[in-house]
Amino acid sequence: MDKQMELLQGTLDMLILKAVSLGPLHGYGILLRIQQISKDRLEIQQGSLYPALYRLEHQGWIASEWGESENKRKAKYYRLTAAGKRRLQAEAERWNRMADVIAGILGTTPEEI
Amino acid sequence: MRAWSSLRSWWREVVRRSRAESEMDTELRFHVDAYADDLVRSGVPREEALRRARIEFGGIEQTKEDCRETRGVNHLETLIQDIRHGSRMLGKNPGFTAIAVLTLALGIGANTAIFSLINTVLLRPLPYQNADQLVTVWGYNRTQGFTTDLVSPLDFADWRSQNHVFEGMAGSTDVTYTLTGAGEPALIIAYSFSSDYFNVLGVAPLLGRTFLPEEEQPGKSHVAVLSYSFWQNRFGRNPGIVGQSIMLDGAPYTVVGVMPAGFKYPPLTELWTPLTPIPQAANNRDYRYLRVMARLKQGVTLRQAQTEMNAIAARLALAYPETNKDENATNLISLREMISGDIRPALLVLFCAVSFVLLIACANVANLLLSRAAGRQKEVAVRAALGASRGRLVRQFLTESMVLGLIGGAFGVVLASLCTRVMVSMFPPTIFNLSIPHIEQLPIDGWVLGFAVGISLITGVVFGLVPALQAGVNTNDTLKEAGRGQAGSARGSRFRSALVVAELALSLTLLTAAGLTLRSFVYLLRGDLGFHPEHVLTMRVLPPSSKYKTGAQQIAFSNGALAQIQSIPGVKAAGTVTFLPLSGWYGERTVALESPAISQNQRPMALWSSVTPDYFRAMGIPLLKGRFFGEGDNQYAPGVAIISNSLARQIEPGAELLGKRINVDGVKGAVEIVGVVGDVHQLGITSEMTSEIYLPFGQIPAPIMCFAVRTAEDPDRVAKAAERAIWNVDKDQAVAYVMSMSQLASESLATQRVTMLMLGAFGAMALLMAAIGLYGVIANSVVRRTHEIGVRMSLGARPGDVLRLVLGQGLGLVMAGVAIGLGGTFVLMRFVASLLYGIRPTDPVTLAGAAAVLAGVALLASYVPARRAMRVDPMVALRYE
Repeated sequence: MDKQMELLQGTLDMLILKAVSLGPLHGYGILLRIQQISKDRLEIQQGSLYPALYRLEHQGWIASEWGESENKRKAKYYRLTAAGKRRLQAEAERWNRMADVIAGILGTTPEEI
Repeated sequence: MRAWSSLRSWWREVVRRSRAESEMDTELRFHVDAYADDLVRSGVPREEALRRARIEFGGIEQTKEDCRETRGVNHLETLIQDIRHGSRMLGKNPGFTAIAVLTLALGIGANTAIFSLINTVLLRPLPYQNADQLVTVWGYNRTQGFTTDLVSPLDFADWRSQNHVFEGMAGSTDVTYTLTGAGEPALIIAYSFSSDYFNVLGVAPLLGRTFLPEEEQPGKSHVAVLSYSFWQNRFGRNPGIVGQSIMLDGAPYTVVGVMPAGFKYPPLTELWTPLTPIPQAANNRDYRYLRVMARLKQGVTLRQAQTEMNAIAARLALAYPETNKDENATNLISLREMISGDIRPALLVLFCAVSFVLLIACANVANLLLSRAAGRQKEVAVRAALGASRGRLVRQFLTESMVLGLIGGAFGVVLASLCTRVMVSMFPPTIFNLSIPHIEQLPIDGWVLGFAVGISLITGVVFGLVPALQAGVNTNDTLKEAGRGQAGSARGSRFRSALVVAELALSLTLLTAAGLTLRSFVYLLRGDLGFHPEHVLTMRVLPPSSKYKTGAQQIAFSNGALAQIQSIPGVKAAGTVTFLPLSGWYGERTVALESPAISQNQRPMALWSSVTPDYFRAMGIPLLKGRFFGEGDNQYAPGVAIISNSLARQIEPGAELLGKRINVDGVKGAVEIVGVVGDVHQLGITSEMTSEIYLPFGQIPAPIMCFAVRTAEDPDRVAKAAERAIWNVDKDQAVAYVMSMSQLASESLATQRVTMLMLGAFGAMALLMAAIGLYGVIANSVVRRTHEIGVRMSLGARPGDVLRLVLGQGLGLVMAGVAIGLGGTFVLMRFVASLLYGIRPTDPVTLAGAAAVLAGVALLASYVPARRAMRVDPMVALRYE
C-alpha cells in the first residue's frame, strides 16, 4: 500500500475518461483498468469512483447502458461519448503542458536564473 | 388540465427517481460483489472477502449520498424522504399528532370558512362580462341627505346623451306580479329592464332572446325573460317554454327567453319584463323611479365617471331649478359594492379575528413541537454527528411540520365545508334593501382550496420554524447530556412561556371582541323596535292592478280578507300596512304643515304607509296622543293622518299638532293630524329613520297589503288558516312571505348574528387553545422541577407551598398575557367600533369580564399540574436522579 500514490486533485475524471476510451467498462472494471495501466501505483478510494462517474455522465462525456458482465451478472457499462473524447484530448493536452511547466520549474538549477 | 399534466410530470419524476435509486443500488452491489469474487479467487474465504470488499469500498451510504448530489437537483428526493420520515415520526406519536392536527384543523378550518365567505361576497368574479366596469348610478340630494336617489326618465335621458364615460346606460324598476295558472297563485318579484339592460350587463340568454327596443312600447310589452331558477322550479326546465304564455296579473305574457343559472340581478329576481314609459313621468323630472346601471368605457375610472356625471347633474340643476335644484350631484357605486351590502366591515373584522385564532393555534402546536423536540434532541444530535448539515436538519423539521400543517388543513377544509353550510342558512332569502348580502351558496372552489393549502403550508413554516432552528444548535452538548434534560432546557422553556403569554394576549383581544359584539347583539335584540313582534303573523299580498283597478275594489278586498282573518279562533287583532316594518319595503313622501307654507325642498321626508284601523293594535304600536283610525275614516270623511313622534318633533318641536292640517306629497288636499304614535324602526333597529306618516287605507288605498295578525298563541299555528282566508276572498290571489314578525325581526339582524356567533366561536376556540397551551407549559415545568420540588418538600415545604409555587408561575404568565392583551385590545377595538351598537369599544365591564374569564380558565389550566406537583413524593423525586 505504501508504494501507492494518492491521486492528485481533479485527475480521477481524466483517468476514468482514459480508461473508458479503451472500450466500454463497468465501474469495477474501470477501477481494475486504472490500477492495471498504472501498474498499481495509484490508490483510488473505490467509493469515490461512483460520484465521479455520475458527474461525468451528467456532463455528457460518458454514457451508460446496462449489460451483462463476464460472470453473467447485470452491470452498468460506461463508454466514452464524442464530447468525452474531445474533453479527454483537451484534458490530456492541458495535463501535459502543466507537467512540462512544473517539471521545468522543478528542474531549474541556480545557474539558470 | 394543467394541474393534471403537472401532476403527471411530477409522477414521472418520482418514478424516474425511484428507478435511478434502485439502479444505483444494483450498480454498487455489483461492484462490491465483483471485488469480493476476485478476493475469493485469490484465496480469501468468502465471508472475509465480502467484509473486506465492503470496508475497502468505503461508506456505501456516503457514496450514495454523493452520487445523488451529483446526479442533479436532489430536492425532490430529499423532500420525499423527509415526508416519509416525518409521517413515520407523526405515526409513532399518535396522541401528539391527534392534538396537533385537531388544533390546526380548527384554526385552518375557521380561516377557510371565513375566506369562503369573503371569496363569495367580495372576491369571486360576478357572472357578468368585465364586471369591474359595471356601476350603479344614483341621484345625490345633499339637502335631503339622499345618497342613492332614484332617477327620473327625463334626467336619465339627459345623462345618457350627455356623458362620455359610459359604454352603455340602462334603466330598470322593480315590479311584482301575481302568477296564476301554475299551482297556487304566487307573488313574483320581477324587474322591468330597458331593452339594453342585458347588453350593459353583458349576459346572453340561455334560451331564446332578451328584449327588443320596440317591446318597450305599450301593447308590445307583454313579454318576459325567465330566471333559471324560476324556469327550473315552475317549468321543470322545459326547453319548449320559449314562445309559450304565462299569466301575470291575469294577463298573458309571452316567454321570449331564459337566462343562464348564474344570472340573478337584482338578487331574488324571478323574471324580467320590458320597461315601459309611465305617462306621469313624461313631463315631470320629479318623477324619480329608475335604477340605473352603466358600463364604464375601457380605461375610465369610477372617479372620472363620477366627476363627469356630477357636472351633468349640476347643469341639469341650473337648467331645471324647480325640480332639480337639490339633485345637483350623482353617486356612483360599483356593482360589487351594491351586492355585498354592509357586511364588508364585519368580514374584515372576522378575518382579523380568525387569523388570530390561527396564530394561537400555531403557537400551541409550536409549543407541542418544542416539548417534543426536547425528547428528540438525541435523535437530532446523532444525525448531526453522522454528518447531517444544520440546513438539512432544519429542512427535515420544516418538512415534518408542513406535513402536519397539510393534514390539519385537509381536516380543516372538511370543517370549513360544514361551517359554510351553517353560514348560508344564517343569511335569510326573505329580506332585501336592508343591506344584507344575498348568499345562496358558499362554494369551496379552487380559490378557497388554494387558500387552505397556502395557509396550511405557511402555518407549517410558522409553527415549525422555531423548533427546527432549535434542533440545529448545541448538538454536542446534547450528546454529552444524553439522557438528562428530558423535559427541555431552561432556554426552551422560557421561549415556550413567551409563546403562551402571546396566546393569552391574543385570546384576551378575541374574547373582548366577542364580548362586545355579544353585548351589542343583545342590545339590538332587546332594543325597542317600536312595536311588539311576538305573536304577530305577517303575510304580504299584492292584488294585481289589472284585476283590482279602483281603490274601492282594493278596499273591498282588504275588508273581506280582514273580516275572514278576524274570525279565525286565536286572532286578537288584524290589520294591513303598505310597507311592513323590517321587510325592507318602504316608501317616502314629503310632509309639511299647510301653514305656514314652506318650499318643497325644505319639507321633512317621512316614511309612509297606508294602514287599516286595527294595524296599530295588531303590531302593538302605542298611541301617544289623539286617536287611532276608525272605520269612519273613509273616502266620504275628511282626510286624516297619524304621525310618529319623531315626525311630530321634525314638523314643529314642542308644538301641539293634533288638529293641525298637513300637506302630504301625492295626497290631494291637506289632511288633519288625529293622532301621534310611537316611533317604529321601519328599516331595521340600526336605522335612525323613524319619521313616519300613516294614512287611512279607507281614504288612501294601496295595491300592497301586508297583513299583521296578532294572535293569542304561536302565530305559525294560524298561518294556514290566514292564507285560506285570503283565498276565500280571491282564489287567484298570491300570498307571499307568510312568517312571524319575530322571525322577520330575527332575520333582519342576520349580519350582526353571523358576526356575533363567529366571533363568539373564535373567542371560545382561542380560550380553549390558550388554556391547553398554558397547561402544557406548566405541566412541563412541573416535570422539569420534580427534583427541585422534592428537595423543597424534604426541606419542609408543605403541599400548600408547592401549590402556591406552581400556581404563581401560571399566574405570572396570565398577568403578563392580560397586560399585553389589554394594550393590544385598546388599540384594536377601534376597528370593531363600526359593528357595535349601544356599547363603546372600550367598555370597561366587557374588558374586565374578558380578562376575568381568561384568568379564571388559565388558573384552572395551571391548577391541574399544580395538584400533581403537590403529590410529588420527595423520596421518589430524589431517587429519580
